[in-house]
Amino acid sequence: MSFDENFDVIVIGAGHAGCEAASAAARLGTKTALVTLNLDLIGQMSCNPAIGGIAKGHLVREVDALGGIMGRVIDRTGIQFRLLNRSRGPAVQSPRAQADRTLYRNEMRRVLEATPHLSLRQGKVVDLVVRDRVVHGVELEDGRLFGCKAVVVATGTFLNGLIHTGRRTYSGGRTGEPASIELADALKRIGFPVGRLKTGTPPRLDGRTIDWDAFEPQPGDKTPVPFSFSTDSLEQTQINCYIGYTNTTVHQAIQNNLSESPLYSGKIQGIGPRYCPSIEDKVVKFSDKSRHQLFLEPEGHDTNEVYLNGFSTSLPAELQQELVRMIPGLEETKIIRPGYAIEYDFVDPRELGPDLQTHRVSGLFHAGQINGTTGYEEAACQGLIAGINAGLHTQGRAPFRLRREEAYTGVLIEDLIKQGVDEPYRIFTSRAEYRLALRYDNADARLESYGRTLGLVGDSDWERFNARQTRLSVLRKALETTRFRRTDPDHAALQSQLDSDLGDSVSLGQLAKRQGVTADLVRDLLPAHLRIALVRADLESVLADSLYDGYLQSQKQVIERLYHHDGLRIPTALPFRGLSGLSNEVVERLERARPQTFGEARRIPGLTPAALSTLLVHLSSQQKAS
Amino acid sequence: MSTIVALSTPMGRAAIAVVRLSGSLSLSIAKGLCVELDNVKPRCATLAQIRYPPTGEILDEVLISFFKGPHSVTGEDVVEISCHGSPAVVRQILDLTLHLGARLADPGEFTLRALSNRKINLSQAEAIRDLIAAQTQAAVKQASRQIGGELSTRLDQFKDRLIKVIVLLESALEFVEDDLPLTEVNLIEEQLGEVRHGINGLAQSYAAGRLLQEGVKVAIIGSPNVGKSSLFNRLVDQDRAIVTPLPGTTRDTLSHSIDIGGVPVVLTDTAGLRETNDGIERLGIERTHKTINDADVVLNVLECTNQTEGALDHATTIPSIIVLNKCDLQVSSHGPKHQEGLRVSALTGEGLDTLRAAILQILNRGNVEHEGLVITNARHYNLLNCATQGLDEALELIRRRASEELIVVPLNNALKFLGQITGEITTEDILSQIFSTFCIGK
Repeated sequence: MSFDENFDVIVIGAGHAGCEAASAAARLGTKTALVTLNLDLIGQMSCNPAIGGIAKGHLVREVDALGGIMGRVIDRTGIQFRLLNRSRGPAVQSPRAQADRTLYRNEMRRVLEATPHLSLRQGKVVDLVVRDRVVHGVELEDGRLFGCKAVVVATGTFLNGLIHTGRRTYSGGRTGEPASIELADALKRIGFPVGRLKTGTPPRLDGRTIDWDAFEPQPGDKTPVPFSFSTDSLEQTQINCYIGYTNTTVHQAIQNNLSESPLYSGKIQGIGPRYCPSIEDKVVKFSDKSRHQLFLEPEGHDTNEVYLNGFSTSLPAELQQELVRMIPGLEETKIIRPGYAIEYDFVDPRELGPDLQTHRVSGLFHAGQINGTTGYEEAACQGLIAGINAGLHTQGRAPFRLRREEAYTGVLIEDLIKQGVDEPYRIFTSRAEYRLALRYDNADARLESYGRTLGLVGDSDWERFNARQTRLSVLRKALETTRFRRTDPDHAALQSQLDSDLGDSVSLGQLAKRQGVTADLVRDLLPAHLRIALVRADLESVLADSLYDGYLQSQKQVIERLYHHDGLRIPTALPFRGLSGLSNEVVERLERARPQTFGEARRIPGLTPAALSTLLVHLSSQQKAS
Repeated sequence: MSTIVALSTPMGRAAIAVVRLSGSLSLSIAKGLCVELDNVKPRCATLAQIRYPPTGEILDEVLISFFKGPHSVTGEDVVEISCHGSPAVVRQILDLTLHLGARLADPGEFTLRALSNRKINLSQAEAIRDLIAAQTQAAVKQASRQIGGELSTRLDQFKDRLIKVIVLLESALEFVEDDLPLTEVNLIEEQLGEVRHGINGLAQSYAAGRLLQEGVKVAIIGSPNVGKSSLFNRLVDQDRAIVTPLPGTTRDTLSHSIDIGGVPVVLTDTAGLRETNDGIERLGIERTHKTINDADVVLNVLECTNQTEGALDHATTIPSIIVLNKCDLQVSSHGPKHQEGLRVSALTGEGLDTLRAAILQILNRGNVEHEGLVITNARHYNLLNCATQGLDEALELIRRRASEELIVVPLNNALKFLGQITGEITTEDILSQIFSTFCIGK
């Protein structure tokens, strides 16, 4: 077969997964093509114009530490930054930012165009060239054939996308863009099990028709926390978002028109996310609530478009207009783009290994919504891992994987490939057993050296990383060695300030763990030479380490005590079918999930206790035999 | 090889208990127990009635499962009798099987037979042991089956309340931008306090539970010739101990198992305590002291008519009951007024029911709150204690106004420990609860 062009890696789709995948593969030095339906919509935010949020912000930090690009792009194009959960512990704080949608898109394209070894190609992929379960290239709708050694499929909601507004249904990948039907068929032909999911988006309003005074302003942080470890300062002017509420008039009108909703008329088969319900769902399932919160999020500096967050709907467009006008402050408002629901295909992620390569076809990787996830950040981290591994695959290097103890990315991927999905998967901090250890502020310490080894972290970032780690260790040392003795004049003053006995001698580190001791106080007590040059974020990281240290130790012990068999390794060649006493269903589940340890097997849903004990008996007898 | 029998489920009250027979006589013994078993098929459960041989009265309705060797767990013919989980029923069934030619299995003998018949290899046998010791779901399932759901129902209530608290804390953490009701610390503290109290109470019932499982040791002690052996014979309803009018007749200790109100009791008759030069009697008295130290309850026997002698001071903290024997000899109420005690007559049987009730009362002390639900398994006891500890840590963190992510750690641990008894709760379960409780969705 002759190809029109040859690449090492081809990435299909230029959303948040595709962009990371293409950028990573190219920066590993592999000749990479990013193929997209429309070059003008690279990095498009299909839904809300925001990045981050609880646990999602952690993912962006991890992407950044590994050398990904999402954090840098949002820092350059974000128009409102907030660190969420400031009143809580550092492990559950997470950055979030509103983006200028157009700037984000443009900046993403600029970054990709500036990436060596990366080519952008516009076109529609209609088939994969697969021979003997190995991928060799892709076929485009216009007849072009591109050859390659690895493909990353990052098609988002485009795979067999079907858009619903009211009773009207039409094929589409996003409003105004065609769906990718042929590729969906191609994946089915290969034999991938395909399911159907649903998501939705709210209407966008004309900002000039909103009575802004009727809403409560929600300003960004005074000292914004950027996403990227490499960002010193933000570029964009910061704006406010606004908070409002629905009322019972709106709810009643929705109740009266449920028959118009494809969700309730039974037209939509796909399963939607429970944590991102449509306004129809909110009204029906929480009928006792007299109001639901809404956020008015401006989409950028140079546009009047406003995103009505919290009002996702697939009701008919003309009804959406009526409903919106029942909201106080939106009486005169005009909808620019109606909301809609979209159903799309996803491929069972249990088809994937931890490197996001499919078991079925060598060199074929899946990332983002095709794996059943939702969210830009979830997509980006998968794109990065898939892109890295696609690149490594073509270079004949060992795959790269992250464990759930070291990164949210690892949690997400392991959950996907071991448990599969039955609704769009979103990351939550509670999904991470070691959430106290996986903080947004220590993502660099956790992951940056991996990024460096892979070749994704450049020299200047690496220097910056090392400088920070050095500062952190100096600070840690200072907390340990700075002591307050009863003989010191500071001691008495401190005692009276804290209203408690400090003992004869107390270190600054011990002091920091006491109730009522703030980071500010610790800073003031630091030796002068450190205080002057202090980077606030450094102090916070060091204090967070010490806050959680004891808990992490004891948590680890508890987990070890609970699951001391979890570490037992399952040989990759273990023939599950050969183990007597396992039902066919259990064998199939095990073969699909391919757990590498007993702990992973234990987490596979549907494995009976009897099956687990059979497996355990077998594993421990193997271990004793060897 | 002999046919062995054992109760395969823990001793104690439960919905169901399983008595297992293994060996060539298994089927004929089962047929001896239940007349309806003529056409029993291997690997099929058969409903049957076990009757008292002498009276023909129905003892229990049971399920009989027959496994023909070598296709059985031990490789021999195996019969499993699923009966109702009353200790008295179980013991009667066991007695009947012994009568019909079985013998009680030694600890681990079933596994040993499986091993020698190559049904499992040594490492598998070890793994089975590990598995039982390990806190795996298999053990969980087994445990919940064994205890017939009573414990799991109770624990599920605690777990539900615990989950509700975790849901409040987690949703406050995860959905900070959503319009959720504020978490009320006082309410959470109160909820956790109640759960902690309940779980801890259950853990404390282990002391009573252990007695249920291992049998309560009751020692009859007293001066020579106060009628200890007569009392013993009366309580075991047999002429086991030799009774003479001579002081010091009982030299050795003598034990017999009886059933008092469904509780297995090992009753021990001892040599009367007195100064003696008789070597054999002295050895007997030494044994008496040992028996006292091992006992759970001591029956301190006095003669009702003896005006001078007080109860023996056995100098231990073991609960004891003062028994005033030979009350049939006392015509008027001239008894030792300084002595409180239960008046019984081993001769006539007078007062024995009161005595039995008094023994039970001691056993049930401190176990009132749980309506008889007791922990009989050391693993469960340990897990409940761990859970209590987790709740204590969480309460302490709340008092220190710690952030939710910290409070949730020991609570999740507590939930996991409880889950090791009755089945695990996953993150997905918690998230589902959050989504069904709150309207999430910025």
